[in-house]
Amino acid sequence: MAEHVILFTGPMGAGKTTAIQSLSEIEVVRTEATNSERHIVDKATTTVALDYGEILVGAQEKVRLYGIPGQRRFNFMWTILKKRAKGMVLLVNTDAPDPIGELLFFLKEFRELYDKGGVVVGVTRADLVEGPSLAEFSDALERTNPGLVIPVFTVDPRKHHQMQNLLLTLVVNIEMRAAFGMAGAR
Amino acid sequence: MTMDVEHVARVQPPDTVDFPVTVGWTPAAMAVQAVLSLNTPVHLRMVIEGHDPLLIDFRHHAFSWSTPLDEFPVEAVHTRLETVPTSADAPPFFELPGQDLDGLLWEMGINAFGGGPAFWLSPGERYRLTRWPNLTQHSHNLRQVQMIAVLGNAYASTAELAKFAGVDESEAQRLINALSLMRILTRSAAAPAASMIPQTAAAKRQSLFSRLRKRMGR
Repeated sequence: MAEHVILFTGPMGAGKTTAIQSLSEIEVVRTEATNSERHIVDKATTTVALDYGEILVGAQEKVRLYGIPGQRRFNFMWTILKKRAKGMVLLVNTDAPDPIGELLFFLKEFRELYDKGGVVVGVTRADLVEGPSLAEFSDALERTNPGLVIPVFTVDPRKHHQMQNLLLTLVVNIEMRAAFGMAGAR
Repeated sequence: MTMDVEHVARVQPPDTVDFPVTVGWTPAAMAVQAVLSLNTPVHLRMVIEGHDPLLIDFRHHAFSWSTPLDEFPVEAVHTRLETVPTSADAPPFFELPGQDLDGLLWEMGINAFGGGPAFWLSPGERYRLTRWPNLTQHSHNLRQVQMIAVLGNAYASTAELAKFAGVDESEAQRLINALSLMRILTRSAAAPAASMIPQTAAAKRQSLFSRLRKRMGR
């Protein structure tokens, strides 16, 4: 069976599990445990190994959606998951203590996914709190990664249609990068 | 290579533009482009038949209009357009935050110039994206996403863009106009033509993007 692995990355509380739930056609496999870092993100549970969902494209083809745990202490899972992935949806919540820092951290950590496929950034909770503008996110990307033109959108991970748009944008961007010989160089 | 953001000498705009009654968005887009090119603070007020006035505060990159953008009147009848001089420390034109100006510029650019090139674009240029538009906030179709992905990865002329994305040239031109009005395109007459790795028509049809679109009913 052909498969396409997409990783959902970003800090704890960015909405990765919710985003996968919005897209998945199967009941999402979740590995949650009590959140021991409620002083950082006030939610009862958090992902500790991975989330998993999938979209069946045809009888013999699946898009597998993996959500990483956002906390750095679980980064052994990051190494395992990024090996098979072709692209990344990077979610960053504007109410994180340093959302631009988080964006740059996760992009650096998963940079190989940009090089071999593509990346799209979803900025979450932008309608709830005032944070950096999209232009500021894009400027930070350009400053630290000159020449990278990564799609950056505001999204609500609960909204199926918005998450579909994000995923389709990622996929078309991966295909365009491959078509112009820009992906898979490393 | 020229960036789309051009600053010209400080020039005082006229208080009111002599603006005949027009249908559609071409003169309005031209006025916006002119104001964006002025290095002087100015607001715009557009009077459109059957709608409340449309107010634009460029300093705050915002607009105020009671008409929602998902009901954007493509054939709007503009009866008056006023420039309203302001200053760097003047209060905003309307109560902020208003709406993000990019959404209006997207609609205006897509719907102005009738599928021909915007007047500020020059023949022989190639274009490349400097920043993706926030598509979550703009009504768009997936052909436009495909074209934007081309421009995010390669310089392309309007004709090349249309060919790469498999769309009509007028559709590609509308997108170029919009992205240019939003000032998120780099223009170059010297950039060489990009080339795609050859794909068969069948391979194109069978791209994951095409299959996912179909699967998602999009």
